[in-house]
Amino acid sequence: MSPAGKLALVTGSGRGIGRATALKLASQGTDIVVNFFRRREAAEQTARDIEAMGVKVEVIKANVGDPAKLDEMFDIIASKFGHLDILVNNAASGVGRSVLDVDVKAWDWTMNINARAALLCAQKAAKLMGGGGKIVNISSLGSSFVWPTYAVVGISKAALEAVTRYLAIELAPKGICVNTVSASAVDTEALRFYIKEGLVKDTRQATPAGKMVTPEDVAGVVAFLCSDEASMIRGQTIVVDGGTSVAPFIMP
Amino acid sequence: MSVEDRIKEIVAGIVHVDKSLFTREGTFKDLKADSLDIVQALAAVEDEYDIEISDEEAQKFQNFGDFVTCVEKLVAAKEKS
Repeated sequence: MSPAGKLALVTGSGRGIGRATALKLASQGTDIVVNFFRRREAAEQTARDIEAMGVKVEVIKANVGDPAKLDEMFDIIASKFGHLDILVNNAASGVGRSVLDVDVKAWDWTMNINARAALLCAQKAAKLMGGGGKIVNISSLGSSFVWPTYAVVGISKAALEAVTRYLAIELAPKGICVNTVSASAVDTEALRFYIKEGLVKDTRQATPAGKMVTPEDVAGVVAFLCSDEASMIRGQTIVVDGGTSVAPFIMP
Repeated sequence: MSVEDRIKEIVAGIVHVDKSLFTREGTFKDLKADSLDIVQALAAVEDEYDIEISDEEAQKFQNFGDFVTCVEKLVAAKEKS
């Protein structure tokens, strides 16, 4: 599947990994639907940057944790474009608490945005992917490793990776490839906030690759998974962490 | 309905308290609202009025009145433009 002339929906693409992914796909000629929840200005900036690359762009506000808003977003995509070729489930949220402090509200909020939304978006996207397609879910190493106060987010990411595997098998006959990209701490605005608040340790010096993973590093792997070259990769979780997870004893 | 009354209604629905308990001097803490409630309240009010409250502005809120004043200003600015 050549990315040129295709349409991609990237959820949460106003900032961070979502923005980098939207820009990367746009640079390959893919039209983009930019989704955001609260930061319209950031989403509009992403859209302007995409438009400057000469591809089409549509900005849609939707809290992906709300099924009714997802319906509205996909109705817009169906009526304006009539098809979808790539879905990147990137939007994420969470509540920083120890596992013993996770209440029903924090669980539902985080699971609904990080895991359920990916499932619902994939179900709706599949109906628009008549000629096959690509779905990439964005996870994090917190699905497999324990970080303080990351409990409910890590659990939701583990669920997301399982969603990926089931989708990959059930959607394979329709020519839709589904995979996960899992990143370690990525140098984003969100991470810098968590470091400042003392919720996450600054691991910049402890990555074997000698530098922090950037949103562009993640976006490059997403773009690869959306290419024909990756068509035999199905249901996998591709880790982008500069080697951190295979060298646990040098992690701080 | 005034902006203040509508905000009371929205926030009361999120934190599950009677809106008569809201005062301009009261805080989210008084309403036993946690950080997730605040995010949800901000998002719901932004949605209602199609405005954007920056994190910097939100962090300055000392009480419910500050929240209402901020929204009133943003709504007025939007109507002007």
